[in-house]
Amino acid sequence: MISKLFQRNETYLFFVIMAFSFFVTVMNPSFLTVENMFDLVKSSSGMAILAIAFFVGLLSRGIDISFPAIAIAGQYIAVNALIAMGVDSLPLAFLISCAVGTAMGATNAFFISSFRMQALIVTLGTSNIFHGALLVFVGTRAINTGKLPHCFKAFGHMNVLTLARPDGTLYGLSVFAVLLLFVIILTWFILNHTLLGKSIYAVGGNYESAKRAGFNIKRTLFFVYGYIGFLSGIMGVMHLSLIRYSNPNYIVDTELLRVIAAVVIGGARITGGSGTLTGTLLGVIMMVILEKNLVLIGLSSYWHQFFIGLVIVLGVSITYYQSKRQNRRNLLFTD
Amino acid sequence: MIGEARIVKLDNLTLLVIMVGTILAMSIFLPERFLTVTNFQSMSSQFPEYGLFAMAIMLTMITGGIDLSVVSVANLSGVAGALVLASHVKAQAMGISPGTIIFLAILAALVVSLICGWFNGLLITAVGVPAIIATLGTNGLFMGIAIILTEGHGIRGFPEEFLFIGSGTILGIPMPLIIFIGVALLVSLMLKKSAQGFKMYMLGSSPLVTRFSGISNNRVIVKTYLMSGLLAGIAAIIIISRVNSMRPGYGYAYLLLAVLLAILGGTNPEGGRGGVLGLCMAIVILQVLQSGLNILSFSPFLKKFIWGLILILFMVVNYYQTNGWPMRNLVRGGVKTGAS
Repeated sequence: MISKLFQRNETYLFFVIMAFSFFVTVMNPSFLTVENMFDLVKSSSGMAILAIAFFVGLLSRGIDISFPAIAIAGQYIAVNALIAMGVDSLPLAFLISCAVGTAMGATNAFFISSFRMQALIVTLGTSNIFHGALLVFVGTRAINTGKLPHCFKAFGHMNVLTLARPDGTLYGLSVFAVLLLFVIILTWFILNHTLLGKSIYAVGGNYESAKRAGFNIKRTLFFVYGYIGFLSGIMGVMHLSLIRYSNPNYIVDTELLRVIAAVVIGGARITGGSGTLTGTLLGVIMMVILEKNLVLIGLSSYWHQFFIGLVIVLGVSITYYQSKRQNRRNLLFTD
Repeated sequence: MIGEARIVKLDNLTLLVIMVGTILAMSIFLPERFLTVTNFQSMSSQFPEYGLFAMAIMLTMITGGIDLSVVSVANLSGVAGALVLASHVKAQAMGISPGTIIFLAILAALVVSLICGWFNGLLITAVGVPAIIATLGTNGLFMGIAIILTEGHGIRGFPEEFLFIGSGTILGIPMPLIIFIGVALLVSLMLKKSAQGFKMYMLGSSPLVTRFSGISNNRVIVKTYLMSGLLAGIAAIIIISRVNSMRPGYGYAYLLLAVLLAILGGTNPEGGRGGVLGLCMAIVILQVLQSGLNILSFSPFLKKFIWGLILILFMVVNYYQTNGWPMRNLVRGGVKTGAS
């Protein structure tokens, strides 16, 4: 039991996180406080949801890089629609954003499944199509806090748990945590307790075998990319509520790389339906803690991009080197 | 083999038709602004940069991989070259001639690009990381190093003579174009006539077969990524000379364009197929279209949209060319049922 635990990537990651948290707490005692933890959860739950989306794509052996474009499209279309209709309703915003996201995801799935194209190349194309279309047909102007419907601001401030500081002021756990928990449980349930989840693993593991075993590949891929779009839609609204500002030009490559970094250090592999949700979440935690404390290690903000790149390269190197050694031991020629 | 050769020829023929078609259309509809020497000069000093990126990606795609780090490699080598160049005032005070500085700068840029390529190759072969994810990671890594080296600022102040590479002309032909044609000929020669080229196509078609034919897959792959890095380094030299400064983050949009061009030029992203001729025609088509969109003053967002659309469309066309068009099958099927 114990030895099995130590064969897992997640175990090592967990210990690294523990050791690093300990180090950070010694350097800066305010790190390990409930308030700081609540803050971290609030600011990183959007990233965690994107990481889960990217992870589901990887499981099916697809690299979907269109999620930042989808998230911004869902967000911007939703907020514009709300302003145009004069409605101030958060559920409607989620509905629009997720519908837009799912539709865009389905577009990806159509090309990937019908023409057996590489997901990366398709999504490289579609993310430009989505983002270009958003800027041409919807608008390029940013929406400021003043114009923003009230529901977003209220959502950003909503807490599910409120605690008091020693001086009597209040702080709390954001409602984002509930949303994230909902996404985690939903994804966990789909992946581990439904046939659909098994078919995602099967398609990622071996396309031909999955096909011959009778899995409906087209339906599986439509679900995978639709789900990625759906989660990106949720993230779009969350991000808007967090920063209270919607700028359609705001699609940063670093967001993409951060998410990929988190997922790959979580141990998910592109070559086969491997990896766990736990690993992905640990990867996100690792990434967030490291990033927040870069300055503490003595690195200026110029190091940020380098650092993310380094984490990706190291993360994938460890993961793939292990499987390479294992394959060689089993005389498997994967080349 | 025969069938394969036929397909490649067909692809190039399609490209030729499209190329002639776009040039004719532009000449007919926008003669007074398209058919000018200035326009041709500006076009042919623009495309060599991303053309070289596309060629680098094509090489890696032929072996069944992909190099997503080309733009970052160019940024890092550009920074290396620019750092050497920017020291020219100090160096001249010490008695070093501008020629030496320029030579050292070019050397620095090319060496850095080779190191980057070698690093990519090593990650893919020795560590066993799939090219797609390895180069996605190094893409961030190399750009990150470039940002650290410059602290996010641009580097300027190059010797006058260096600018000739990016903006000079010989007999009215822009230097970038001359460099591009030279590189394209060399790469074409390498692909068609050298053992490395042959091995690259074979490796892309079936890595398992080359492995058991006694070819060292790893060596072929490392050499491919070295070349891809070198091409990015050459692009970097052209870029810093043309822009006359270096700022990390330059040319991020080129990545999409380069992948688009590689695929448009008939390269199979699964490996085993692709060539310089097809790529060059694709570059001409795209550059002519680009110049048309510029003349009609389309917004950059619309261009982004159009490039994405063309990429997807071409993948669909490619798919049907290799797997048969659905309508033709329908007709054939119809004839069959009619006969029986």
